[in-house]
Amino acid sequence: MVDLNLKNVCKRWGNTTGVDNFNLHVKDQEFLVLLGPSGCGKSTTMRMIAGLEDVTEGEIWLGDKMVNKLEPKDRDIAMVFQSYGLYPNLSVYENIRFPLKVRKVDPGTHHERVMRAAQMVELTELLDRRPAALSGGQRQRVALGRAIVRKPAVFLMDEPLSNLDAKLRISTRAQIKNLQHTLKTTTVYVTHDQIEAMTLADRVVVMSEGIIQQVGTPTDIYDTPANTFVAGFIGNPAMNLIAGNLSGDIFEGPNVRIQGLQTEHTGPVTLGFRAEDAQLTEQHGQLSAPIYAIELLGEASMISFRIDESLISVRASKDFRAQIGSDLQIVIPASACHLFDSVSGRRIV
Amino acid sequence: MAAFPFLWTAWGSFKLEPDFMSRIDWMNALTGPATTERTGSAFTDIAYQGAWIEQQFWRSALNTLIVTVCVVTLSLTIATLGGYALARSGFRYAYWLLIIALIFRAMPHITLVSGYLLPFFEMNIWGYLPTSIIVLVAINQPFTLWMLHSFFLTIPKELDESAMVDGCTQFQAFRLAVMPVMWPGIVTTGLFSFLLAYNDFTVTSILLSQENQTMVPKIASFLGSTQIEGKVMYAVAAVVSAIVPLFVLILFFQRQIVSGLTAGAVKG
Repeated sequence: MVDLNLKNVCKRWGNTTGVDNFNLHVKDQEFLVLLGPSGCGKSTTMRMIAGLEDVTEGEIWLGDKMVNKLEPKDRDIAMVFQSYGLYPNLSVYENIRFPLKVRKVDPGTHHERVMRAAQMVELTELLDRRPAALSGGQRQRVALGRAIVRKPAVFLMDEPLSNLDAKLRISTRAQIKNLQHTLKTTTVYVTHDQIEAMTLADRVVVMSEGIIQQVGTPTDIYDTPANTFVAGFIGNPAMNLIAGNLSGDIFEGPNVRIQGLQTEHTGPVTLGFRAEDAQLTEQHGQLSAPIYAIELLGEASMISFRIDESLISVRASKDFRAQIGSDLQIVIPASACHLFDSVSGRRIV
Repeated sequence: MAAFPFLWTAWGSFKLEPDFMSRIDWMNALTGPATTERTGSAFTDIAYQGAWIEQQFWRSALNTLIVTVCVVTLSLTIATLGGYALARSGFRYAYWLLIIALIFRAMPHITLVSGYLLPFFEMNIWGYLPTSIIVLVAINQPFTLWMLHSFFLTIPKELDESAMVDGCTQFQAFRLAVMPVMWPGIVTTGLFSFLLAYNDFTVTSILLSQENQTMVPKIASFLGSTQIEGKVMYAVAAVVSAIVPLFVLILFFQRQIVSGLTAGAVKG
């Protein structure tokens, strides 16, 4: 068990930058999730940790060993790929055994270790099958089994659930969480799915365009987003963002006027609030606009309004009924508001 | 329909020339009256004996064996290693290398071979088997390289990568993870280069001396000597002898060839 340290890690291809100045300390036994839209450099970061991609600049430390120049095989890591990367010519048993075999682990222990790993990922019934005869979920469990059989220092998981259907994704997600809890292995997990990130992570790293936007617990990231990118990325729906002007404790924007904001700041800002923090009302709301759409979610309804170019969503009870186009008032408590600098996008309050 | 000429030749190869080339009645080639009259049986192996023993066709067969085995081994070795490297390196030069290679493949062999003649004479390496083997490999290489390259592209990169994370060196990953799923591709490509080497006429007829000839040019030289009766039958017998191994091979590898030609893809 070791910790993982990334110091000023950069990845460039000619003039394009994949990962820029990445600094992160992953604690021993931590479950860390790299989250971001596609092309944000999260997979590249993971591949650099694995040694599948060269590091242009910076250092990667596994425990007290700098691993920049080490081959993947010498880094004591295990990786799970989105497309499984199983050996199609080998049975499930041989697939799980493969790392032991190539690393010349004492053959006497192989059977016991493979069986233990297979049991943990619930594959004992399928050990004779070839990967082609397995479902997607089973294949991913073989990949997990192959990763845990060797007890590596770090697990790397590159979108392991993305190829699975929705239902299977939830059960496999729980299984991964449970495995990590049992094995207590430091884990880095890459995903573009924020629900996966929220449910699995001890800490989440939100990335965009190769740069870390925020590092924090899932609660931190949800409750106090560091900038407008994180605010607009995390949450379903994402935080509502309205551009406007702040003078004194009053925010004014198109159709919006909110009083009582606790800030010294004045000038142009972006105001953010979450759909569940606002309420619909008949009159005296802070925001008034015609209804753009009503979407029934099952346990609630999502009412959206169009303000300038952006859509604002507000959560209402599931039996809310109104005509599209009719005017509504919305109460936005000042305490639930987030303020961001309108130029840099950084959080003010 | 396609098999008819072969069946006709195979049947006729056990007759004598007056029957096979009969001007009186084409049915003679089937019934063989002259053969029966002279040898006492409707079938005779005179043509085979003449070709194989008297004209030393066995020597040509041996030469063909040497040439094809060497060409297939050499070009497959180069093409698997090269094709893998080209498929895995993302650089653009890989594409241009393959394009240049294909242009050379598209040129008629004769244009290349006539250029080789003079230097080969001067270097005193004309007429030997290794020279032809090298030339055949060179002509063949672009195609095998291209073919295996596209086979390697169908193999997901994750396969080598997971092997490397699991503890393999780059070469071990290639040998233990990639090669086992490449067999259909290698068999197909190997077969194509085998056919090229086996059927080649241009290179072997020009670059080999009389005693080193392989089967195909030897057959051509049988056909060229029609003055003496029976010589044509040597050619006929030799043709049949040369075709049989092909049939055996194709029957044997039928499944791999078809699967290699159609799919080739390996989905984990």
